[in-house]
Parts: sequence; C-alpha cells; structure tokens
Amino acid sequence: MLQIKNISYRYRDTPSPALSGVSLDVPAGGIYGLLGPNGAGKTTLISALAGLLTVTNGQITLHGQTLTEIRRENPRAIALVPQDYAFYPMLTVAENLRFFGGVLGLSRAELKTQTDSAIAFARLEQVVGKRAEQLSGGLRRRLNLAIGLLGKPQLLLLDEPTVGVDPQSRHFLLDSIAALPAAGTTVIYTSHYMEEIEAICQKIAIVDQGQVLAEGTLTDILRSPVPLLDIGLEQPLPEAIAQRYSATLIGEQKYRLNLPLTVTLQNLLDELDSEGCRVRNLNFGQHDLEQVFMRLTNRSLRD
Amino acid sequence: MSPRLIALWFKETIALTRDKHGLLALFIMPTIFILVMTMALRDAFTPGVTIDVSYSVVDLDQTPISKALVKRLNRAAAFKKIDGNNDLATARNELLQGKQGLVLVLPKEFGSRLLTPGGTDGKPAEPMTLLVDPALSPTLQLAFRNQVMAALGAVRADELTVKAGKLFGLPVAPGATLEKDWPDEIRSEAVRGDTNAKIPSSVQQNVPAWLIFAMFFVVIPVSSIFIIERQQGTLQRLRAMGVPFHLILAGKLLPFFIVNQVQAALMVLVGMYLVPLFGSEALELPSSLPLLLNWWAVSSAVSLAAVSWALLIASLAKTSEQATIVGGVGNILMGAVGGIMVPKFIMPASMQKIAALSPMAWGLEGFHTVMLRHGSFADILPSLAQLLVFAAASLLAAIWLNHRALAAQS
Repeated sequence: MLQIKNISYRYRDTPSPALSGVSLDVPAGGIYGLLGPNGAGKTTLISALAGLLTVTNGQITLHGQTLTEIRRENPRAIALVPQDYAFYPMLTVAENLRFFGGVLGLSRAELKTQTDSAIAFARLEQVVGKRAEQLSGGLRRRLNLAIGLLGKPQLLLLDEPTVGVDPQSRHFLLDSIAALPAAGTTVIYTSHYMEEIEAICQKIAIVDQGQVLAEGTLTDILRSPVPLLDIGLEQPLPEAIAQRYSATLIGEQKYRLNLPLTVTLQNLLDELDSEGCRVRNLNFGQHDLEQVFMRLTNRSLRD
Repeated sequence: MSPRLIALWFKETIALTRDKHGLLALFIMPTIFILVMTMALRDAFTPGVTIDVSYSVVDLDQTPISKALVKRLNRAAAFKKIDGNNDLATARNELLQGKQGLVLVLPKEFGSRLLTPGGTDGKPAEPMTLLVDPALSPTLQLAFRNQVMAALGAVRADELTVKAGKLFGLPVAPGATLEKDWPDEIRSEAVRGDTNAKIPSSVQQNVPAWLIFAMFFVVIPVSSIFIIERQQGTLQRLRAMGVPFHLILAGKLLPFFIVNQVQAALMVLVGMYLVPLFGSEALELPSSLPLLLNWWAVSSAVSLAAVSWALLIASLAKTSEQATIVGGVGNILMGAVGGIMVPKFIMPASMQKIAALSPMAWGLEGFHTVMLRHGSFADILPSLAQLLVFAAASLLAAIWLNHRALAAQS
C-alpha cells in the first residue's frame, strides 16, 4: 500500500541527515510500528508522510500514486495525529471537532456524522461540552485521536499517541487503535514503548540515526538469530554446565545459554535434572522486543 | 464563501470571547481611558476658560448698567462666578473662610456715574472695590482686575453708543438695551500648516485617540491564540490538513476587524452618552452620510493596520509573554509618540515631526480631518494610504517570517 523508497532528509544546519536511504513497505489494513529511540528520525518520517516536509530524494507512493497526487485527489487520505495536544484548549470538545471537521471541508451532513462517530469512537460522550483545557491527559489523547479520524483517512499517522496517560486510558487507546484496520484505516504507529508495539503491530521497523535497522513482521523480528536460551533455575547453575554452554548470569539464578543445536535442549534439561537442578522457567528461540531493540541500537544513551 | 474560512472565523470568535484578559484590554481599558483622560484634560483643550478661583459680585447699585457689567464679566471671565446673596458682610465672611477668592463690590450710583467722571458734578467718584483673598497669587488678582477693566470699558462704550448713537447716526433700535452681543469676543484657533483648524475638544481628542490605541491592542488576543496554535502543534496539524497559511491569516483578519469595528461603535457611544454624564461635552459625529463613510474608512484602515501589526508581532514572538511585552510596549511607545497620550498640538515642532512616524498618529490625523475639518475623501487619502501600506507591509513580513520558520524547520 505505502511504499517508501530510499528517502533521505537533512534539516538545515545539522551535520547528519535525519533520514538516510530509508525504505519501508507498509501493507494495507494493518498497524505498522515504527520503533526507535529519541532522535531516531521517527517524527521526521511521519512529517514527510504528512506532507509537512519534502524529502530530498527517494519516493513515497500510496497505492502507486505520489503523495502530491493522492492529496490532490483526496486531501483527507492521510491524517496526522501529532505528539502534542494539537487542538484548542479554550474550545470545548464538540467545538474542536466541529472546527477541524470544518477545516477539512466536510459538508454539513458529513460533519454531523463524522463528529458523532469520532465522539463515539473515542468515548467522549460525557465531555463533549467540556473545554479541552479541563480534560485529563487521557481524555486529551482521545480527543487528539478523534480529530485525526474526522476525515476517514486511508492512512493514519500516530506519533506517540499514548505519552503521559494512565494505564486505563492507554489500554483503551490501544484497543481502539487496534480496531482501526477493520474499519479500513491503515495505521503507522510510532512509539518507544515496546509493549505497545508488541501488543498491536503486525509489522514493524526499527529505526535509529535516520536508518532502518530492521524491518519485518513482529514474529520475524523477534525470532532469535542465534539459538539462545534464557532459563530460570531454583538453584545456581552447576559450573560444568555453565562452561559447556557459555552461560552468562542475567538475573538472580537466571542465565542465558548458547545452544548450538536445538536438539541439545533435551540433553541440557536431562543434565539439569540429574544434577537435581529444577527449572523455574525458560524461553528459547525468541527474544522480546526490548532485547532486539537494545541489541540493534547498541544501548547507548541518546539524550 | 469557503466553509474552511467560516470554520476558522468561528473558531477565532469563540476563542476570543473566552479570552477575558483580551476582552478587558479591548473594551474596558479604552472606555476607562476615554472617561479619565477626557475629565483630566478637559481644561487643557480650552485654554483660559476656567481658572479654579471663584468670585462673586456685590452689586449695591442694582441698575441695568451694573447688571450689564456683571453679565459681561461672567461671559468673559476665566474665573468661576459664585452667585452670592449680594450682601457685603456675607461675601467678606466667605472670603475669610476661603470659599471664594475675589469679591467685586459695585458702589451705589455706579450706573448713574458711569459716564460722569469724578469731580465734574462736584461729587467724588466712588470706586469699585475688589476684596481679595491674600493667599491668592498677585498674577491672578491682576488678571481679574484686567478683566473687570475690560468689561467696564465695554459697558461704558455700550452706554455711550446707546446715548450718543443717534447723534453719530449709529443704528440704534428703539428700546435698545445694554445686553446686546457685540462682535468683540475672541475665539482661539490653532494654526497648523496651511489650514486653520479648530483645536479638538477634550472629547474629540480622546475618543479617536483611545479608540486607535485600543484597536492596536488586538495584539494581545491575536498573539495569545496564534502562539498557542504554534506551540501546541495545531498550526502543524492544520498544515497537514492542507490549510494554507494565508487562509489561516485570513481566518484571523475578519474576526478581529469586526472586533475593532465594535470597539469603534462602543467608544463613539461612550463619547456621546457616557462622557456627558461625567460633566464633559458630548462627542459629535459628522451628520452627513459621506462624512460618516469617511470616518468609517479611517476606522477600517486603522483596524487593518492594527490587526496586521498584531499578526506580525505574533509571528515574531516566541512566547505569549514576549508578545505581551513587545506588543504592549510597542503600542505604548506608538501612542506616546503619536499624539495619543499627549495631544500632538501641544508638542513642540520637533516632536510633532517624530509623531508623524507613528501609525497611530496617521489614524488620529485621519479622524481629526473628518471630525474637525469635515474633510473629503481626498483629504483623508494620505492617512488611509499610510495606514494601508503599513498594514500590507506588516502582513507580508508576517507571511515571510512564517515561511522562514518553516524553511528552518525543513
């Protein structure tokens, strides 16, 4: 659906490019996660997709058409939900929705339908008459999202949409966003909350320093390239076994072992059993996203 | 009409109606300024009309001639007349208590001896007496004495004219009195350039002046909304929605233009109906339609200049505090230099030249051309042109600044 081919972008007066040869393939009807540390280039990429800045080279196409063509044909095809609370604090929820609907050029009937459905989607019924400045963080995020949906976009760009909300609102937001593809909206979701990306994205890209470090389905990304075993024991790992499997201590009686062949897993478990060492838990062949992310981005501090 | 523009106007209007500080600056501040400054400057605009010293006359003669003198004195005097009970003792007492500063005593036979110098009929001329408060400045005593002498001279001349009119063939109507109006009053006129204009009265100066000042204060609400839009990413969202920047500016121009016109209507009403309640003269607008249209043209041009200037300040300022300081101080400076706070006609010539640099002065000049000189459209054209060029330049600078900010971002 959305093809990004080899795009680059450099902000004026900065030594290194914000995006450098980025290529992504976003399939229709899913949630695509864009993961990266602060300053990785996520917001720049989102801004380029939203038409806020023009990339210096490369090409972006949506359904085979360039962004300019798409915008000309349907100005509401792509919607951006910025990281900030991009609405008017002194206006009520309903007034904000009506204003942004009006600015999108919705007809009177469309405006009514779309406003009502956005209110229902973000469960804002109780606060429609309340000024936006009086809303809690969670409700503000919901309003921010609701505004993004007014134009029934084909592609919705969400830039860190859950920053600063309580766990209940976060779950509500994630569930709502997860339901969007079923209604025909493809979502690009940027965040640095791994568990959010893991929870709702089917495909992800990890970016850092303007480059794509990994792209693929969540299963592909999380599949371990080397057969590592994380294991938690009730006693310390016997020294002989530790040496044979090049074990490293990763927590209290938790170890990471290097298993050259999957068949050795049964041997290892037998050995542990014979040593009277009981296994509490184990994880083999798949990393969690945080491990992959930290390995790819080299753990260095970014701010 | 573009529904997008209507949405922008609607938003701006709601936002403004909820900005209490902005509304206070736009409507309450100028009303208070007009009232206070009209009261405070009332006497500065009609020099010599009243001096805060009162006098009374004790007329022991009570003839038409003595009454004519009292009347003339009252009409010409810059001092305040107190109507006493014509009793010398009471007047003297009030003088002692400081209730009045001067008491003129007209002796008996004042009228009958007006044209008879002392000694000509064997009787000495009884002089008029001036009782004075010793604390009163000698200059003021002298000024009052001179006014009495002038009035006396005029009454004597009148009496002579009546008595000797027929002899000299002067037109004297039968039964003529001494209370006729003679073309002997002096009216002040300020000479400015090659046109003679009346000095504005206090209310004529203050209503347009503080109206202009208030119009320029749209800088506070304009920038407060604009800066919120920029800081909260709303402008960016609008851009992502495909709203061009010039449409956003157009969305701000009309609501604030209307606000300015409401201010104009309100300040005129204050001048016409509220100011007189405080004892000052009422504002008079020109009565003919072309003149009213000219007045409105000036008001519109001032408004365009003010809103464009506000948009420029809002584009320059990073925070609303900066906008308040730069906009507020800028306005006060423009007002101080441009003859808003201190009327231009009392400034020295060198300051008047500097005043001509202030857009507020251009607006005030335009209003005065219509209100005082009843100038035609051609007469106000220079003021209009200055204001409109200023508005266009400010608007272009605001658009340029925003493009530059976007270019720096990209």
